[in-house]
Amino acid sequence: MSGLDRRGFLKLAAAGALGAGLTACGAGDGSDSGGGTSLRYAWWGNNIRQQNYTKALKEFAAKNPGVQVEPEFADYAAFQERMTTQMAARDVADIFWIASPQVLTYHKSKIYRRLDDIPTLNLADYSKQDLESFKIGGELNTMPFGVFVPVIRYNETFAEEDAAELPPADADWDAWAAFLVDYAKDNPNKRIGMPYEADADLPFESWLRQRGEQLWTQDGKAGFTADSLAAWFDWWDRLQKAGAVMSLSEQEGIGPDWAVVGKKVLAKVGNSNHLIDDARMFPDHTFRLRGMPVAKDAQAGHAFLYYPRMAIYQGIDDEKVEAAGKLVGYNTNDPAMIATVGLTMGAPVNPKVFQQALDSATGDAKETLTVVQAGREAERRPRFEAPPGTNTWRTAMGRAAEEIALGRLRTTDGARRLLEEIGAGITRAA
Amino acid sequence: MSRPHRQGAAAHVFLIPWWLGLVLVTAVPMLASLYLAFTDYNILSTPEFNGLANFERMFQDGYFWAAVRVTLVYVAISIPLQLGFALLLALILDRGLRGLAFYRSAFYLPSLLGTSVAVAILWRQIFGDDGLVDRALSVFGLELGSWLQNPSLSLSTLIVLNVWTFGSPMVIFLAGLRQIPEELYEAAKVDGAGVVRQFTRVTIPLLTPIIFFNLILQTIGAFQTFTQAHVVSGGTGGPANSTLFYTLYIYQQGFTNFDMGYASALAWVLMAAIGLVTAVHFVLSKYWVFYGDD
Repeated sequence: MSGLDRRGFLKLAAAGALGAGLTACGAGDGSDSGGGTSLRYAWWGNNIRQQNYTKALKEFAAKNPGVQVEPEFADYAAFQERMTTQMAARDVADIFWIASPQVLTYHKSKIYRRLDDIPTLNLADYSKQDLESFKIGGELNTMPFGVFVPVIRYNETFAEEDAAELPPADADWDAWAAFLVDYAKDNPNKRIGMPYEADADLPFESWLRQRGEQLWTQDGKAGFTADSLAAWFDWWDRLQKAGAVMSLSEQEGIGPDWAVVGKKVLAKVGNSNHLIDDARMFPDHTFRLRGMPVAKDAQAGHAFLYYPRMAIYQGIDDEKVEAAGKLVGYNTNDPAMIATVGLTMGAPVNPKVFQQALDSATGDAKETLTVVQAGREAERRPRFEAPPGTNTWRTAMGRAAEEIALGRLRTTDGARRLLEEIGAGITRAA
Repeated sequence: MSRPHRQGAAAHVFLIPWWLGLVLVTAVPMLASLYLAFTDYNILSTPEFNGLANFERMFQDGYFWAAVRVTLVYVAISIPLQLGFALLLALILDRGLRGLAFYRSAFYLPSLLGTSVAVAILWRQIFGDDGLVDRALSVFGLELGSWLQNPSLSLSTLIVLNVWTFGSPMVIFLAGLRQIPEELYEAAKVDGAGVVRQFTRVTIPLLTPIIFFNLILQTIGAFQTFTQAHVVSGGTGGPANSTLFYTLYIYQQGFTNFDMGYASALAWVLMAAIGLVTAVHFVLSKYWVFYGDD
């Protein structure tokens, strides 16, 4: 060893280890060197949402000196995978969004901190009934920060170009199917009615509730029958065989990319909030929203609202709780946040902020708020979250829908298989 | 302390990072996964011992058998094609081509890029609906649409992708070809052997250790194929499970379904399968690999 003898080398190694150790000790205690508070905020989405939320979090930090926010962003699937590994490592972000299939799974893992004891989180604008409906396991431990509903979204520009007259607002599923088939057969620009989205969860839930069933029961089981699921698959199958929806080849698989299919289809089913980001991909087009088709014999109370939720991590340091409460409040109660991020996660949950937004909204925002307003005013039966063990039910539904579209599975077999997979998942998690 | 002892101590100090890596990053996780293979563990709660339940579950799991089928078909088709193509190119390059270094680098490039996300995305563009292949075939009246969304064709696109990454075995073949003594070819010529006979009686026998080496390496690599399948299928293994590679299924079970106990069991079955296939290769090698001193 030239230039460095053994003793020197060992000293150097010891100094390096000490330095690394000190660095590690100094990191991750949630406090910055200036004595402020650092909060980790985890969310998912696309690039547009990432940019908007990053900007909003910076604005929040600017308004709250001494509070820094560390953004932790990922796309939807990667977000859930990262959450799981973070939960296993007891290293979850201080504030995090909750993907719909995980609400009760995370609750079972006890990672939610109660929210109604945080003085900086103002809940005064919410009715008792609202707050009660937000509770999980009898406790206010997650906070909805948006509202959306299932919709049919259509491209009004295409409809005008093709002189297509849409079915009336109260049209049922058959009327929509007939319209889509006719449109695809005979439009001058050779457009297709819709993408194939037999795996769309909120529209499927709407279908079930109209039949008097539900997605999940209060006691944590699948709330629907194989018959209803098969009928749903059949509705899509008929459209596909008639050429009214895209083939999997045309749309490059189940779960199509809107940037690809948006220029080829007149309409699509989905969530009302998706209009906000999707419309930006086609700035020259006008998009409109409609409620889902309603069966003639639809059961009362079939309408429902979907609330995306966020939570504060159970293991958050006590000294950070008030700052975290402020940030949750900023997300849910502050019009300034909505002004920056828009309605990408749906209409505001806070009734005052909602009304304020509705009064001043135009264009896509107005469209989104109007359909949610209709949902809020409608009679609604209770809705229950996905039970533990069902976190991959949407993947399983996508697989079944895909195989049906490829002609490799009958709709009844697909329905039976999906219910079996859901049941097996629930049993394993029990 | 004597000089040899001092040097030994210094060597051990330098080996500490490697030992730490081996123990912490490889050995401990492997042992942990072996334990987890016999548990019901969903990452979020404490593992519960469940004996052989995870292994028994595989027999009733249709996706498991789909993944096994896809992986075996892929290994069985892509490895011979890849090695054959690599050997062919190596033979061409060994003929004293001008600019050999350039061609060698150019042909090796896909091996560096082949398992990257970028190439897998490029593959979607080439084999997708209205992609390069679709357009080229439509000239001849063939309208196949997206190969990636056709369960009968999707796996073949990934096989093509693997064959395309022939650079690594090609370079090894090239090095092997350079080791064959020229005198043997001259002697064969004197004995009246033509090009084909020289190839079958001189080149191939003397290259068998290299073929064997490449076969082992590429087979193990093919069993572990993940990135291409994940990116090309969007992580689903679709359409209709036609690209559900075994490692992709392990990943789905572990990190999407949070079923880490079952995923660990699947991983150990894969390891056992790779070990078995490798052992069979070694046993069979006695009958066809020629080491010169035999």
